[in-house]
Amino acid sequence: MFDLLALLPTFPLVGFLILMAGSNSLPRRGVVAVGVGSMGLSALLAIAITVNFLSAPPPGQVFEQHLWTWFEIGGLAPGFSLYLDPLSLAMTLVITIVGFLIHVYSAEFMRDDEAFARFFAYMNLFVSLMLMLVLADNLLLLYLGWEGVGMCSFLLIGFWYKKPANGKAAQKAFIVTRVGDTAMAVGLFLLVTQLGTFDIQELGVRATEQWPVGSTMAVVAAALLLGGAIGKSAQLPLHTWLPDAMAGPSPVSALIHAATMVTAGVYLIARTHALFALAPVVLTAVMLVGLLTQLTAGISAVHQRDIKRILAYSTISQLGYMFFALGVSSNGAAINHLMTHACFKATWFLAAGAVIVAVNHEHDIFKMGGLGKKLPALFWAMFFAGCGPFFSKDGILAEVWFSDTGGPLLWLLGLFGVFVTSIYLFRLLFTVFLGPLKNEVHWKPGRAITIPLFILAVGSVIGALVEYPRLLGYHPHSSGIEAAHASPYLHATLGKIAVGVALTGIYVAYRLFVRHRHYDGDEVIVPHIRVPLRNLFADGWGFDRAYRVAFVAPFRSAAHFLRNELIDRGCDAVVAVVQSGHRLIRRTQTGRLRWYTAGIAAGAVLSLGMVLFS
Amino acid sequence: MSRTDLTALSPLLVVALAAVAVLLLISVRRNHRATATLTLAGLVLGLVSISWAATVTPHQVAPLLIADGYALFYSALVLAAAVVVCLLSFDYLEQRGEQREEFYVLLLLATLGGLVLVGASHFVTLFLGLEILSVAIYVMVAYARSSPLAAETGIKYLVLAGASSAFLVFGMALVYAQTGTLEFRPLVAQLSAIEGSGLALPGMALMLVGVGFKLAVVPFHMWTPEVYQGAPAPVTAFVATVSKGAMFALLLRFFAALGPGEARPLLVVLGLVAMASILAGNLLALLEQNIKRLLAFSSIAHLGYVLVAFLASSAFGDEAVTFYLVAYFVSTLAAFGVVTVLSDNEREAERIEDYRGLFWRRPLLATLMTGALLSLAGIPLTTGFVGKFAVVAAGVEASLWLPVSVLALGSAIGLYYYLRLVVVMLSSLDAGAATESAADSGRTPADPGQTPAWPRAARVGGGAALALGLLALLLLGLGLYPGPLMDVIESSVSPLR
Amino acid sequence: MFFDYANVFVFALGGAVLVFGGMWLGSLIRPKREGEAGLEPYECGEKPIGSAWFRFDIRYYTVALVYLLFAVEIAFLFPWARVLKEALADDAIGGLALVEGVVFILVLAVGLAYVWRKGDLDWVRGISHTPDDPEEG
Repeated sequence: MFDLLALLPTFPLVGFLILMAGSNSLPRRGVVAVGVGSMGLSALLAIAITVNFLSAPPPGQVFEQHLWTWFEIGGLAPGFSLYLDPLSLAMTLVITIVGFLIHVYSAEFMRDDEAFARFFAYMNLFVSLMLMLVLADNLLLLYLGWEGVGMCSFLLIGFWYKKPANGKAAQKAFIVTRVGDTAMAVGLFLLVTQLGTFDIQELGVRATEQWPVGSTMAVVAAALLLGGAIGKSAQLPLHTWLPDAMAGPSPVSALIHAATMVTAGVYLIARTHALFALAPVVLTAVMLVGLLTQLTAGISAVHQRDIKRILAYSTISQLGYMFFALGVSSNGAAINHLMTHACFKATWFLAAGAVIVAVNHEHDIFKMGGLGKKLPALFWAMFFAGCGPFFSKDGILAEVWFSDTGGPLLWLLGLFGVFVTSIYLFRLLFTVFLGPLKNEVHWKPGRAITIPLFILAVGSVIGALVEYPRLLGYHPHSSGIEAAHASPYLHATLGKIAVGVALTGIYVAYRLFVRHRHYDGDEVIVPHIRVPLRNLFADGWGFDRAYRVAFVAPFRSAAHFLRNELIDRGCDAVVAVVQSGHRLIRRTQTGRLRWYTAGIAAGAVLSLGMVLFS
Repeated sequence: MSRTDLTALSPLLVVALAAVAVLLLISVRRNHRATATLTLAGLVLGLVSISWAATVTPHQVAPLLIADGYALFYSALVLAAAVVVCLLSFDYLEQRGEQREEFYVLLLLATLGGLVLVGASHFVTLFLGLEILSVAIYVMVAYARSSPLAAETGIKYLVLAGASSAFLVFGMALVYAQTGTLEFRPLVAQLSAIEGSGLALPGMALMLVGVGFKLAVVPFHMWTPEVYQGAPAPVTAFVATVSKGAMFALLLRFFAALGPGEARPLLVVLGLVAMASILAGNLLALLEQNIKRLLAFSSIAHLGYVLVAFLASSAFGDEAVTFYLVAYFVSTLAAFGVVTVLSDNEREAERIEDYRGLFWRRPLLATLMTGALLSLAGIPLTTGFVGKFAVVAAGVEASLWLPVSVLALGSAIGLYYYLRLVVVMLSSLDAGAATESAADSGRTPADPGQTPAWPRAARVGGGAALALGLLALLLLGLGLYPGPLMDVIESSVSPLR
Repeated sequence: MFFDYANVFVFALGGAVLVFGGMWLGSLIRPKREGEAGLEPYECGEKPIGSAWFRFDIRYYTVALVYLLFAVEIAFLFPWARVLKEALADDAIGGLALVEGVVFILVLAVGLAYVWRKGDLDWVRGISHTPDDPEEG
């Protein structure tokens, strides 16, 4: 069974190839069969592998599949090898199943798009590369997947490339994540040169052997990897690309910018945890980044009007929670939140996409209202899905309280995030679905849309009850859990407090946005917050503006200034020299026979002369 | 003449016999298809007979010819190229009203000349092969005799080839005067025996003129653009590949036999020739608007590249030369193959404008052309890259820093005009059709209302499709898996040194 | 290798100096007289009559060529015939000499057949011999 592991990324890859080759000739039905079918096969296989993994676990809960050796230079021989353990199994399940459901949804959602085949081709390629990323057993393959999903993200954000803004959003996403990727690449080079292996597990072992805790090398390497993770997972300060990435089609936002690709950073840190454990400073940084991100992004989410931007900021904030958990070394809680959040956020994005289409491409939630009566399926799917992550978040918070590196203060800050979360989520839900009807509904989602939504919502609700990673056998060592088990009463109390805070948040949202309808024409009013401050929050704390002033503008003016500088002129001069060389030598091609004969004679003289005189 | 002799010579005999048989067939009954089929059969049989001849290698036939692995490898190369040219010619000639059948006699004879050249171990066979090859090519380049361009081309090639042959013969005479023999091996022995080479070295220097003319290297290159342009496209493909390849094979054999001491002054000459060819060829091609001329100039540069590996004078250099020639054969035949099948009965598809938007009109042909151009440019994954890599490696190994750096410079210039053509093929059909051509060639822009300017050739015929498919396969296949061919080359060049 | 090319450079420079220096010297000492006679095509006082560009009948060429070919081939046959008898007596060569001569003659015969069939031996050309040859039809 496990030998079929390699087929997981292969199915979508083949689907991608078929779709690219047949993009003009395949009928729509064929595109769906290939695009969704390949994902279905992967999902089925993933489930089968999971069942097998749980019923008859491989030795040490690890299965390695070596496919072929990529190259062999100087003792380094990175293989094309896959590595299956509970962590990668969890990621694989999320990617294939959520991915499959989103593909099913897309088959209806994208039905009328002219580039139908291209869409599924990119989606399939993305899934294939994402699977490669999580299943990679060496850094090189992981990096291939890492950059590959970045490329797919770029292609899909700019999928509707005819609108310039979408192209710009795609570029922004690519360039901003590149900052992190560069750091990560440097980190990878550092690791490989210092430790002499590409293998991730081996790397952890050697790092632990060679570097003492807190050594400079370990800190630098971990910090560089963290840079990559921050870029990919849209954490402070590299989070600015994600809200703009909503320019892509909604299924893309659901799959790439909520459920899978953005979690790659979380996965990376969990995967290379051995390294981070050697650098407590960096772990603290991870925690701080997560905490700050979840607070700032959560507050920004409250002030957004665009339904997809709310969700984007919400995603950033939830990813912040995962980093928060990673920072206090509770990887289990982080991955649990990752999986629940994937189901939850995919549901919300997909439902949001359906809502947007239903109200004739309106994005502003304050121009919607009362849709609950028209689109009940969407409302209930969103409502139930919205419950799941609160519980996984409680898990994180409890571990923060008990963890060695956490504490009550951090717990309190996290708790505030829970409050903010419930406000912005239910603000969205109440504004759009409750109250008087404000829109005409042109279109109702079909079964291919509602069924995936409900399955995902169920996945999210179940996530509230059980811990998925634990179910799959992923329970890494964590100081927090042990302490929590030691004092069950306190643990339960903390959980109750968290639930209470969440419910309070929902009630506040209800008061503010259903009972009092605090908006007036275009002006959205969040009570007790002044306009300049509100604008600041709505702008995402002004990061974009700051970057524009600090980096973009100077770079552009520098580029403008340097357009005609010396080096460039030198290049132009080379061109000019070569061209004039061409013009000069072209005159020898006179077309005159006698001149050509003279050439031969001259050559003879030259040849003879050189031989005689040398 | 023993049985072994006949076996060793079987490729030559088969091709010669095929030429006579085709002539006889034409006298009995004129039929283009039958003639082409017989020619093809002869060439393929020639290829098959190589494996038969391989059973007796190495074998010296009289003092004139030698059938060793090296000669047989190049024989196979020449015959394979002839097969491709034959396949391409059929459709090409089918569209044209000229007398078509005689072409195949000439093709067979020219191929025979090439085979004699690659097996030559004696100056007489060298000259004989060269002349069989040349005389057949004189007629072939002027085959479209109704066009004035063809007449001009023919006469230019005739006069210049005659002149260069004269140098060659005179050089031979000088060598003979000094050494008293025309056979390679005794001659080399004589040369190393005598103190101060006297007349022999100047003789060989003059022979380089004849060789250089066939290879079209600076300063004997000036006929190339005119002949490439004026000759029918399949003939151009033949001239660009077989005649140069066969000559190079001979040059390599002779210089490998010649000790490094004797060869050194000549190598200095050839080094200068190589560098001049690389620079001049690439510079001349830079802004050229005619594809056939462009490929002519680029071929000058390519022969310069091969000469760099040749200068290395090592076993690895020999391998590099041979691999590069194979890559050059494949790429050039593919490029001219595309030109051939795109040409219609009115004119050849030789203007850059004919290729504008080719990707959207004829995607497969455009892809093949791109592959051929990238291979000529030496882009990775193509066979041309492996060839160029081998050449550079050989040059570096022999510490030929100056020629190698000139090679790198030339390749950089070369990229421009190859990629320019690719860009033209990718650009959209209507946009910019007028601007670029009008700016560069002074032609008035085409009236948008009139029918498209590119030749409207019929669909690709079966033979040509087969040939092009084969070339596409080789183009990529030898780029990805050069190993097997490298092994064959390694064993076949081993008898040289 | 660099210094080898330095040689070349000096050589080329020397050549250029010789050629252009000679021309320059010549221009210094030669008399400069420009007259009508000096501009004539043939500076011998003879006036050219008519055009040099008139056509000869192509048939002269073909017949001449064919004649030349066969005449030369016959010239090749004489030495062969001269030594044939001794070659036949020689064990090492034997019948091969005869066979090779016959092959040579046969190839010539094929050529003759071709020329004949093509109609190049007829001084007065008939109408098309071969219907698929549009030039003659």
